[in-house]
Amino acid sequence: MIRAAVAAAAALLILFIVVPLVALCVHVAPDRIVHAVTTPMGRDALRLSLTTTACSLALTLALGTPLAYVLARSTVPGRSVLDAIIDLPIVVPPAVAGLALLFAFGHFGVAGPLLDALHLRIAFTTTAVVLAQLFVGAPFYVRAARAGFVSVSRTLEEASETLGMGPLRTFARITVPLAFPVLAGGAMLAWARALGEFGATIMFAGNLQGVTQTLPLAVYLGLQSGDLELSASLAIVLVAIALAVAGGVRVLERRAS
Amino acid sequence: MRRRSFLIVAACTVGVANLPARARAQTKPTVTVFAAASLREAFEAAGPAFTKASGFPVSFDFGGSDTLATQILQGAPADVFASANTAQMQRVTAMVRVPKTLARNRLVVIAPAGDPVVASVADLGKSGTKVVLAAASVPVGAYARTAFGTLERDPAYGSGFAARVAANVVSEETDVKAVVTKVALGEADAGVVYTTDVTPAVASKLRVLRFPAGAAPEAVYPIAVVSAAPNPAGAAAFVDFITSPAGLGYLKARGFEE
Repeated sequence: MIRAAVAAAAALLILFIVVPLVALCVHVAPDRIVHAVTTPMGRDALRLSLTTTACSLALTLALGTPLAYVLARSTVPGRSVLDAIIDLPIVVPPAVAGLALLFAFGHFGVAGPLLDALHLRIAFTTTAVVLAQLFVGAPFYVRAARAGFVSVSRTLEEASETLGMGPLRTFARITVPLAFPVLAGGAMLAWARALGEFGATIMFAGNLQGVTQTLPLAVYLGLQSGDLELSASLAIVLVAIALAVAGGVRVLERRAS
Repeated sequence: MRRRSFLIVAACTVGVANLPARARAQTKPTVTVFAAASLREAFEAAGPAFTKASGFPVSFDFGGSDTLATQILQGAPADVFASANTAQMQRVTAMVRVPKTLARNRLVVIAPAGDPVVASVADLGKSGTKVVLAAASVPVGAYARTAFGTLERDPAYGSGFAARVAANVVSEETDVKAVVTKVALGEADAGVVYTTDVTPAVASKLRVLRFPAGAAPEAVYPIAVVSAAPNPAGAAAFVDFITSPAGLGYLKARGFEE
């Protein structure tokens, strides 16, 4: 009885996830997908999504790796506060993130006078897209990377250092390779979150083809303007990318365990 | 434990099943009105008067007319659709009864109160001006683009004016209210909205520039009962009310024209 209920609940949720995704694919013929992706709007959105997520991933790795290592190794007081701050963008709704970014980096925002003095305008630029992605995506990487670094035994790092390797070389040759599957898994999740970013982007970066209109925005605007074929085609592209990411994370996790 | 969760499920089921029954017993069914974002203030003010006069509670869904039309085409349970142009009403022609003309509206250019970049409509085409428009599928976005095309024929603006403005567009927003917000926040130097969108709430943050006479098309708002309305009596009552002198009074009070 209980077993049947568990199986039914599980099947229900799986179906609930699979049916809408399949329905999406039934909506458009494969050759129309290719056509949609080669329209100017589709092509621009795909190119913009790939370039901006590459930038936000690079920033995530460059800024997130040192932070994750500090969080994993240091015993400074207030570390739990840092942990909580890192978790915030994951729990905060994207619309809130968009509003917060606008109030921070917008024309009348907290950093507005400074940015004005430097003749920088961020809202409505591709930079704003990257910042929104960094804000929502980076925490996923930092969390994973911290766990990965914690799993690397401190004794191995110490042994390496006593054998004459400096801390940087130890980090690059011992710590990173040992934690690699976890780091890569975290990076993939962060990238996928950045790719799917919608709410903060449309509020903070606006919507302009080729400049700030990423794939999720194009999906939304296609639907809004009645171009369902374009909307569904780009959505399918996003699902395909998501499948690849989910598969990649699985492979890395298996290698890690 | 198992018993308690059963009770919770049972309570939820009973509660949900009871809700509509109780609502029905107390009042008439709610009228769901899909309306262009620019109608927000006028319709929200008219709502309580309509409910008082007809007994139908009313709930509004405001958005870009293009979004609302798409939702109706996808089977959204709307009773009434009020669009900010005829093009979006025509998209749903097969799904609505014959539309009536509700009201008319005028286009204006708005600029942030403290931002000197745009002093005239011609400045929208000046290199470096940051312009925010609604997307071309949104009625106010379509009207604005038509206006720039008309202005090209005026030598003071010159041919290529529309293209110069288009090159200055930094964002295409999803409805007219989003344009107002972005300009009021100072994120853009100018935007094109309806005169009725310069509400008391934002007026102090904005400067209003008028288009030259005859340049901007007049915005026409058709309203129609949705054929498959879940609440046809309520839908008809709402259209009758809002097109009556009393209903139109709420629109005129906010700057709409008959």
